[in-house]
Amino acid sequence: MSAQKKRNFQIEAFKHRVVVDPKYAEKTWKILEHAIHEIYNHNASGLSFEELYRNAYNMVLHKFGEKLYSGLVNTMSFHLKEISKGIEAAQGELFLVELNRKWADHNKALQMIRDILMYMDRTFIPSTHKTPVHELGLNLWRDVVIHSSKTQTRLRDTLLELVYMERSGEVINRGLMRNIIKMLMDLGSSVYQEDFEKHFLDVSADFYRLESQQFIESCDCGDYLKKAERRLNEEIERVSHYLDARSEPKITSVVEKEMIESHMQRLVHMENSGLVNMFVDDKYEDLGRMYNLFRRVPSGLSIVRDVMTSYIRDTGKQLVTDPDRLKDPVDYVQRLLDLKDKYDKVISLAFNNDKTFQNALNSSFEYFINLNARSPEFISLFVDDKLRRGLRGVSEEDIEIVLDKVMMLFRYLQEKDVFEKYYKQHLAKRLLSGKTVSDDAERSLIVKLKTECGYQFTSKLEGMFTDMKTSQDTMQGFYARFGTELGEGPTLVVQVLTTGSWPTQASTTCNLPPEILGICEKFKSYYLGTHTGRRLSWQTNMGSADLKATFGKGQKHELNVSTYQMCVLMLFNNADRLSYRDIEQATEIPAVDLKRCLQSLACVKGRNVLRKEPMSKDIAEDDAFFFNDKFTSKLYKVKIGTVVAQRESEPENQETRQRVEEDRKPQIEAAIVRIMKARRVLDHNNIVTEVTKQLQSRFLPNPVVIKKRIESLIEREFLERDKEDRKLYRYLA
Amino acid sequence: MRRAATRKAGQPNSTSVNSSAVDLFRSASSRASTKELERIDSLFYSYANASSGLIDPEGIESLCSDMEVNHTDVRILMLAWKMKSEKQGYFNLEEWRTGLKSLRADTVSKLKKALPDLEKEVRRPSNFVDFYSYAFRYCLTEEKQKSIDIESICELLDLVLGSQFHHQVNAFVEYLKIQSDYKVINMDQWMGFFRFCNEISFPDLSNYDSELAWPLILDNFVEWLQAKQS
Repeated sequence: MSAQKKRNFQIEAFKHRVVVDPKYAEKTWKILEHAIHEIYNHNASGLSFEELYRNAYNMVLHKFGEKLYSGLVNTMSFHLKEISKGIEAAQGELFLVELNRKWADHNKALQMIRDILMYMDRTFIPSTHKTPVHELGLNLWRDVVIHSSKTQTRLRDTLLELVYMERSGEVINRGLMRNIIKMLMDLGSSVYQEDFEKHFLDVSADFYRLESQQFIESCDCGDYLKKAERRLNEEIERVSHYLDARSEPKITSVVEKEMIESHMQRLVHMENSGLVNMFVDDKYEDLGRMYNLFRRVPSGLSIVRDVMTSYIRDTGKQLVTDPDRLKDPVDYVQRLLDLKDKYDKVISLAFNNDKTFQNALNSSFEYFINLNARSPEFISLFVDDKLRRGLRGVSEEDIEIVLDKVMMLFRYLQEKDVFEKYYKQHLAKRLLSGKTVSDDAERSLIVKLKTECGYQFTSKLEGMFTDMKTSQDTMQGFYARFGTELGEGPTLVVQVLTTGSWPTQASTTCNLPPEILGICEKFKSYYLGTHTGRRLSWQTNMGSADLKATFGKGQKHELNVSTYQMCVLMLFNNADRLSYRDIEQATEIPAVDLKRCLQSLACVKGRNVLRKEPMSKDIAEDDAFFFNDKFTSKLYKVKIGTVVAQRESEPENQETRQRVEEDRKPQIEAAIVRIMKARRVLDHNNIVTEVTKQLQSRFLPNPVVIKKRIESLIEREFLERDKEDRKLYRYLA
Repeated sequence: MRRAATRKAGQPNSTSVNSSAVDLFRSASSRASTKELERIDSLFYSYANASSGLIDPEGIESLCSDMEVNHTDVRILMLAWKMKSEKQGYFNLEEWRTGLKSLRADTVSKLKKALPDLEKEVRRPSNFVDFYSYAFRYCLTEEKQKSIDIESICELLDLVLGSQFHHQVNAFVEYLKIQSDYKVINMDQWMGFFRFCNEISFPDLSNYDSELAWPLILDNFVEWLQAKQS
């Protein structure tokens, strides 16, 4: 087996000898070459496409592809060189026209050539990794025509010159421009970029650098921005007309950089026309323009925002620290609201309601409103004024708008508890004197406060309203029962106030006139009869009375006075002359209040139902008082106000402060204990942070006060210091 | 296993030998200590007030004069600490026994001789904190009293810390006398000052960090010092 040789038979393919005319290739190519010449010479009409295609096909088929391809390259290069010469020879404006025309010709020719050589394009070129016919045509155009030493720079300069002319306001042939640019783009994006765009951007940068320099020296900020905006729009328009769309961000960023970014600081701070002046003069359009332009560059808006913030802070600080403003709290708050309105309008009209600007505005207000410790008081006084008279005859929607604005200021307050204190005081006065304009408005504000600060904040305020309602019912019940029995005596209206809900007032009582005392006692026994276990005490410092009085010539008046004043006036039913001492002794009204009340009865022109001896503005302890027979008034009803300062005097203010501080202590301690109960062990700084966080909806606790409270809790053994780490506190359960 | 067992068995044996020796020694020493105890007790009664059965302030004064020590001397406070005396100005028998036994003193002269050693013992850092806080508690004479008036605090500070932290104490006492925020000092503040003396470089205060939750009074003290220095 091994000796036997294995033979493999192979059947050879039948060799088909194709005898080709040795001159075949040369001859065929000549035909094709001639055709290409004819095509370039615009003589293609006489050519047979079918024949040419077949020839090209056969050449490839008979392995003369290489010859065909190189022949094409040579022939085309030859023609393009001719074309290039023609273009170079074109003078002036005709240069681009010629270039454009030849480019169109070349494209047409290229199309036909490609069709003829379709077979080569499909088979020979892919297998030999050569450049396809169309691309070859473009490349040759690029290398021979565009990159010819004479054309390359000339083309670029011509294009840039045209752009420059257009920027200077001349009209150029945009169609031609578009065709040429399109040609560059067709030759490949790198051609467009290298031969045009790069230089275009450089030249533009130079142009705008120079121009912006001129503008900034000669224009004010508003005009400059207008010009910059126009330039920017022009460039965008230019791109849409004849440049590659991808150039838009590039050229706009050039304009932005040269015209805006390089001059931002100068623009914003420009004397007499910068940002601050725009604010002052309400130039919404300019502000909007600045916003829209500056937002295009990095940190542009933050510059605008910073200037706005610091300007608002300065203005606000001036407003709240101006001693003149302190004289009129209502005006003070109105000015704050006006300031807020102004910038709200700026932000909505010019700054696109930008959230970051709104935040900046809010933080600025928060900053300066709290610079003045009396802001909470003044805001409450503003509300008081609005609810007393300011809102009379104002529609419900407008009331809501005012209240919402007040709430907005309220949100800026750090010491919301101080506001609550004053609000309670002012509300109490409004309710008790029946001075509130609209019950709905009052309740609406309470609801707003409740949503803002929670139930606890308003529960006492709501208690006050409940008391008022209950008192009404009680009085109805009282008169239903005793009405007939009481007959012609004085009418009593009692408001029963729950202790704790109302602002605490030093309970100073006075001796009521006997005429009143009877019915008071009757009410007391009636009330205590229905509500056992309660205690009633008369708050004579809070009441008011309507008195009917007859004066010298028999003229009758109704006097609206306070309870104290009533007590004083009733004494004159039995006497014409009373000394200060007499009155003090009979009424036992505290000296301060008595002086005030006598002052308003005897020293105010048109309200002087009493006469004082000696005549003077102030009440002295040895003055004497007479019933003023000669009192006259045009009005039947005379309201005799008590001389009270609307806003608090300095000592009262101190007292309120102190009360607020006292009220804060248990709240801080409760917060500390709550936190420590949950955390067991915590370090000092974290406690301070957490306590501040927990309480900030009501007030901003002072870290020193928090520390004091912690020490007090240590002393009372709620907490202890860690034995090792001094910073740590431990909760002692 | 076996060996382990023997070893285990051997152990009680040896201890029993030891314990018997200890017992012997103990019974001997207990006899001696009974005598010592008797002497300590009789010393107690020589100073005690017959009716109350306590050594009262008068008794302490005569003890002091017998030892030729001033009764305001810090060593008397140390003695009280050693006795773990609870009520200022009084020693009861229990306290007297604890103190004198551990000082190994049963006569006045022995007691007097023991005082320098006692002082050394107290000055040892581990004991001194305890003594320092004891000094504060010792001065709380009323039920539920938690703080001590400034005037007494100043004297007490001088007594217990004066020799060790002379400058700090002087400055703090000066501050306490002119400030008006505090009328009394509590334990936390008292201990805080001791830490202050130990930890804070004085008088430059370079390592004082108010973030470290010192009692507020020390923040104020430091602020005052800095204002004074600048």
